Amino acid sequence: MPTDSRRITGPETSQSPHIYQKTNGTEIVLIDENKKRQDGRGLGDIRPMFLRAGIVSQARGSAYMEQNQTKVICAVYGPREIARREEFSWKGQITCEFKFATFSCLHRRQPQQDGEEKDFSVQLLEALEPAVCLHKFPKSQVNVYVTVLQDDGSALAAAITCASVALADAAIEMYDLVTGCSARISGGHILLDPCHTEEYRSEKDNTVNNGSVTLGLMPSLRQVSAVTSKGELEFEHVKKAMDQCLEVCQKLYPVLQQSLIKSVKEKLEMDKLSDCHTT
Amino acid sequence: MVDVQLSDAEKIYILHGIQDNCREDGRSCEDYRHLEIESNVVSNTTGSARVRLANTEILVGVKAEMGNPAPEKPDKGRLEFFVDCSANATPQFEGRGGEELATEISNLLSRSYDCPSCFDLSSLCVLPGQQCWILYIDVLLLECGGNLFDASSIAVKAALFNTRIPKVTVREDEGHTELEISDDPYDVQRLNVQSVPCIVTLSKIGHSHVVDASQREEACCLARLMIGVTEKGTITAMKKEGSGSLDPASVEDMMETGKKVGQDINISLTCVLKMEERQGVKRQTIGFLR
Amino acid sequence: MAAPSICVPGQRLGRLDDNTTSGNGTYERNGFIYSSLAGYLESKDIDDGKKLVEVRTDTKKNIVPSVDAIVTARITNVTPRFCKCIMLSVGKTPLNEPFRGMLRKEDVRATEKDKVEMYKCFRPGDIIVARVLSLGDAHSYLLSTTENELGVVMAVSEAGATMVPISWCKMKCPKTMSEEPRKVAKVQPQFLQYSGT
Repeated sequence: MPTDSRRITGPETSQSPHIYQKTNGTEIVLIDENKKRQDGRGLGDIRPMFLRAGIVSQARGSAYMEQNQTKVICAVYGPREIARREEFSWKGQITCEFKFATFSCLHRRQPQQDGEEKDFSVQLLEALEPAVCLHKFPKSQVNVYVTVLQDDGSALAAAITCASVALADAAIEMYDLVTGCSARISGGHILLDPCHTEEYRSEKDNTVNNGSVTLGLMPSLRQVSAVTSKGELEFEHVKKAMDQCLEVCQKLYPVLQQSLIKSVKEKLEMDKLSDCHTT
Repeated sequence: MVDVQLSDAEKIYILHGIQDNCREDGRSCEDYRHLEIESNVVSNTTGSARVRLANTEILVGVKAEMGNPAPEKPDKGRLEFFVDCSANATPQFEGRGGEELATEISNLLSRSYDCPSCFDLSSLCVLPGQQCWILYIDVLLLECGGNLFDASSIAVKAALFNTRIPKVTVREDEGHTELEISDDPYDVQRLNVQSVPCIVTLSKIGHSHVVDASQREEACCLARLMIGVTEKGTITAMKKEGSGSLDPASVEDMMETGKKVGQDINISLTCVLKMEERQGVKRQTIGFLR
Repeated sequence: MAAPSICVPGQRLGRLDDNTTSGNGTYERNGFIYSSLAGYLESKDIDDGKKLVEVRTDTKKNIVPSVDAIVTARITNVTPRFCKCIMLSVGKTPLNEPFRGMLRKEDVRATEKDKVEMYKCFRPGDIIVARVLSLGDAHSYLLSTTENELGVVMAVSEAGATMVPISWCKMKCPKTMSEEPRKVAKVQPQFLQYSGT
């Protein structure tokens, strides 16, 4: 792991106090007798979503999303010239960078991207690439930077949704928006939009049929742009989880529409005002 | 993946062939190419295997070292995957060219092995909280002929089957514990790779999908689905890759095919590895000469 | 004026038939027109009785130099065969991130192309107006100044003052009165001020 020589990092042998907590070994009850989860939601309920486009003034396009306690911000820059120019290409290029802020998770994250964040960056790129009209900006690249400010589960799904709104806000031509949703599979139950305590962790769960599925969908075209899974799962459960995620992704589409319409209206107002000033 | 230039006519030829379930080398859509496996090829490793899948050649070496377990998992050992795309395979991998591909392969491998029910990490524990075995699994790509993910996972499974970790005895001696590692080459601990997954890559070409795409078929496909399948038919990891999008119905079809093919390949791999081991010393070593 | 209707990427705008064609910001799929931008919908009537469906957004945003566009650039390198420049704006729209361009010796003038001496046409630091010939290669766009109206519009003399154009191939420094050779763009008639002589 390359060390960051610009920062004075804490002592290398420091550990988070959470591993010494007594509650660590006890089982977390995911679903109680009334079929309700820990925070009172039903199995198929997702957390309410707040989405706002156009918040970073310096970026070409940006978006901020909150799903209860999960907070994600995304900024899009470009199209600009490709820094590492290898060969001429009629198609443009997208690069994605996914980063958890160091204070965002329960355990402190490293300031540099670790393996998990690099993996998420690749998955985010997979989800966004089918939706963007790459042939509209030849020889150029678009950079998407996603930062998770607070992680309470389903960070990747939130990042996918947020990044697609930011791309639309940047007026980059797209075939469709992309919505993301994740599900946790536990025994025979499927919990949609898991929060941090409900998320799958390989060290805790030992039985089969414990895992999670994340799906990225283009709602208008009904095409899956990304699908990943973790944990040992049986085929039927994965299929069921994917179907439920598909439904949720379709339901999320109006929220994205609303936020984009609002931001376009605001820009129209500002243009009208600036026109009035100049004429 | 390594790029092969194809003209539009060649792409259409491959597409039409696949629609009729006949690929350019005569296989059906669910057939693998000729696969050769050889274990115990590198003497300095704890376990090793070489896999040759038509033009793809992969060499995996497993080295076991003693180390500290992770603080959150004090009674479990560790698996560390590292993939090296050597410049041998293609000049595109020179320097840092193959880094992205290597990271993808190692990420998918560690994700598919990250399930407690497929690989039991507690068998690698020596002293809970203090010492455990860390298995460094190093994958070396010697030749690139398409379908790197599948071949790497088959080679890793074969290498783990071949791994012989020396047995450790723990002695309590006046308050401090001492570890004694036996140097008897037959006093070893074998790993249980019965439920270890194999990765199956399904490439979507036209309206149908194929298993084990060659380099030319990879150049025609826009989207790929990689699934880690165990012998029982369960899925340990799934990843969609590529700049194209997939229909939800296609994803389900591909998963079904992947599950079927994955189970078959797991069963035949275990069979072949056991047969190879039974041959013992009389086994004919081919090595890297052909 | 009625409030414009706003659409998002992927929204279906209408059916593609003989009377409607898709314009900027839209794409066609399976016989329907879909929007590819987040903006407001505009449908205009064009000459042959058809309707053009377009999605317009804040046009100051994403300009990428396209073929045959007029660009303003600043020269950075001059060599005997070509000169390199940084494109500052496309038409009237300034570029947020600069793109690189290259002007070859044979694309400077329309006549006597082989007798061109690059150092007598351009110097580093000059602002030129050029036309994009093609997307060029991975490194830079290919530009050309083969028309009368294209060439150097602003240059600084060796003494440091902004020079005034005298002819198509010379510029004069107001401080030292010395003349320097450049390939000068023809000044638009509305900017000429006759001094009455």
